[in-house]
Amino acid sequence: MNRISDDILSKVEKPSRYTGGELNSCTKDKESIQIRYAFCFPDVYEVGMSHLGMKILYYVLNKREDTWCERVFAPWPDMEKLMREKNIQLYGLESKDSLKEFDFLGFTLQYEMSYSNILNMLDLAGIPVRASKRSEDDPVVMFGGPCAYNPEPLYDIADLFVMGEGEDVINEIVDLYKEVKGKGKAYFLRKVSAVAGVYVPSLYEVEYRDDGTIEKFYPKEEGVPKKVKKRIITDFNNSVYPDKFVVPYNEIVHDRIVMETFRGCTRGCRFCQAGMVYRPVREKHADRLIADAEKLLKSTGYEEISLSSLSICDYSDIQNLVFSIMEKYEKEKVGVSLPSLRIDSFSVELIKQIQKVRKTGLTFAPEAGTQRLRDVINKGVTEKNLIDSVSSAFKSGWSTIKLYFMIGLPYETEEDIMGIADLAQKVVDEYYKIPKEDRKKGLKVNLSTSIFVPKPFTPFQWEPQIRMEDISDKIKVLRSSIKSRQIFYSWHETPVSYLEAVFARGDRRLCDVLVKAFEKGAKFDGWTEHFKFDSWKEALEESGVEGDFYAYRKREYEEILPWDFIEIGVDKRYLISESEKAKNAVATQDCRLGCTNCGVNVNLEGKCFEGAVSN
Amino acid sequence: MKVRYLIKFSKESEIKFVGHLDLMRTIQRMMKRSGLPVAYSQGFNPHINLSLAQPLAVGIYSSGDYFDAPLEEDVPELKVKEALNQSAPPGIRIFEVVKIKEEDDHQKVFKSMAVIDAAKYTIRIRYKNTDLLNEEMKALFEMKEWNIVKKSKRQEKEVDIRTMIKDIEYKVVEKILVIEAVVSCGSRENLSPELIAQFVKIHTTNWDSEAFTDIKRQEMYAALENKLIPLYKFVKMR
Repeated sequence: MNRISDDILSKVEKPSRYTGGELNSCTKDKESIQIRYAFCFPDVYEVGMSHLGMKILYYVLNKREDTWCERVFAPWPDMEKLMREKNIQLYGLESKDSLKEFDFLGFTLQYEMSYSNILNMLDLAGIPVRASKRSEDDPVVMFGGPCAYNPEPLYDIADLFVMGEGEDVINEIVDLYKEVKGKGKAYFLRKVSAVAGVYVPSLYEVEYRDDGTIEKFYPKEEGVPKKVKKRIITDFNNSVYPDKFVVPYNEIVHDRIVMETFRGCTRGCRFCQAGMVYRPVREKHADRLIADAEKLLKSTGYEEISLSSLSICDYSDIQNLVFSIMEKYEKEKVGVSLPSLRIDSFSVELIKQIQKVRKTGLTFAPEAGTQRLRDVINKGVTEKNLIDSVSSAFKSGWSTIKLYFMIGLPYETEEDIMGIADLAQKVVDEYYKIPKEDRKKGLKVNLSTSIFVPKPFTPFQWEPQIRMEDISDKIKVLRSSIKSRQIFYSWHETPVSYLEAVFARGDRRLCDVLVKAFEKGAKFDGWTEHFKFDSWKEALEESGVEGDFYAYRKREYEEILPWDFIEIGVDKRYLISESEKAKNAVATQDCRLGCTNCGVNVNLEGKCFEGAVSN
Repeated sequence: MKVRYLIKFSKESEIKFVGHLDLMRTIQRMMKRSGLPVAYSQGFNPHINLSLAQPLAVGIYSSGDYFDAPLEEDVPELKVKEALNQSAPPGIRIFEVVKIKEEDDHQKVFKSMAVIDAAKYTIRIRYKNTDLLNEEMKALFEMKEWNIVKKSKRQEKEVDIRTMIKDIEYKVVEKILVIEAVVSCGSRENLSPELIAQFVKIHTTNWDSEAFTDIKRQEMYAALENKLIPLYKFVKMR
């Protein structure tokens, strides 16, 4: 056990990141358990503690009598420096034991720019970063989460990957581990590769063509599955959900109860990976959610419940759910928040009723500036939807509106960029159409843009990312198109999105780049103050890897993509047809209005709209 | 009818680095979990009208801190204590719960922070070598004035902290200088224990600059007929 003394803690920012001991954190007697699991989040405490997946798996694993699951976060560089100076190995927050003493380290892959932190965390625990260099005594390192859908850049960091929803498969993996404990890691990995949803990269081989594309991808041994199929929970309404959350002493990013209302999304936006990989849509009944909320309020004392999903107003029983909770906890002053608003008047009406104080602005994401481009990306939102929504918001007392757009979308023209400014201006005009006495003073339209990153398993997975220099030009055009002084434009113009694009669609050759960048000190790349593009450029160069090959290259449909061996349920054929429709700016309907034949209901055992009151 | 309670609690050593606002939030959540009929303020942003007697600096822990909070109904003190101890997080314990009698003649709401006069602290400073320490401390105690520059956000000024120390003792245990002091505390006059530690460090040698200076608040007092009475007793006597 490490002793993290006050001498150390008093020298770092936010010491409670490192002390553990929070309400509802789980401690067990080491002697009475057989498996020690460290759930590792490769970012700082406040970010990691807000992650719902960790709360669920922490609960699932600690429900087992034979297992003790602890939490691990990336120490901020001030703490890391002291840990290295004083030879303190990275430890589990609950026991303070070094990660070396664990059976499993499970990292969640939420965004590509956290990969360097994973390597840094392993290193801080004295564990070799490469799976091929680790010994029998080192823990099994496993990865899951959305970025696991392209596992290849981490192929020699991971012992295994899990594709899809972890609630069931994690138990299968732990059970198997327990069963074959003592027979060696190689034996376990060979066995676990047969578990549905598990990918063991060391059991596969890749061959490349001269042009750098993949020639062949295949299992090295007989009996290792050729394809890895994503796991889903079929009876989502009865799926396991924590009855308590760890309540931190210091404030975290999402410091509230989160209720997961449904998984999946039917909108089919063509840029959105979540919209494809989390299919099919499955809901929890309102009464189940209300019962869970009751337990969580009692065990945490939180004053706010956030209803989470990819698009909350698509929840089929939303009115009933929201108003039942509000009514039930009126006396206890519990608030409800809806983090993912659709652009329509219904959503505005709903938020108006639950948010008594217009504290924060309303956020809308039209994503693209013209109808043509919104059809290209299949964002089923019209200008009229937006104008009606903001009009209703202004009349209800809001005066701050946030608008999110992407730049660098496929088939984007200058007209589309100017369309962003134009749309923001129309929002301003709408405000002034409302009589002075009926609107709140101080209009602010906060406009922000992010740079589009093509992701695997989307209809845009074959598309090149726009070049960094072209992004600058587009931002210039947009800035000069903005006329009103009520529009405040903020943008990120950073090579981070280039690297994101490289890793999002990278192959095994990027693993060397990652290891090199880590050796050069890369960490917290998602944090502007720590991101050093030069280290990454050097790492690419020294590894002989061309970043542009991954970020800027247009792929052919015939090409074998690094993630092709994974089955997410949605057919490649469907992604191709969506990609073709994008080319012609043809929209695809929301599949609640009628099946669009993506294949998920045929390929996976789950039924679409399971648990929904109506669709 | 709302009833206010004065609650004596600990901020345990393990949460000494939790700041004042985070501690307030933690106490509010503890109250919500307790199932007690917590009273909320009126208005757009209803909250528990909680007040902490005297904020603790980050890094200082306490076995004698106080907050007061309102309940919607009259609940027996022992029941409040039990309920809060059951819902308390690992870093907090509840020692005393006292119903606050409202003053009859005027409708003034009792606020613990307004009656505090003094607090007792234990300060532990680690030394590399304590050979000279007793001599140095003796010399220090012979000084009439303990002048030190006090820095605040707006200004720096020299103050004599001795006048704010009501009682002070020390001993050297192994390599640690243990100071126990009762000092002015509250809105009228307040001496931070960190300033005492700083003053002692200026006038002694060989303290360990790498070591954390451990400070614990033991109790808080109100003055009654020239005597310092622990706050929870004071409230009963009033």
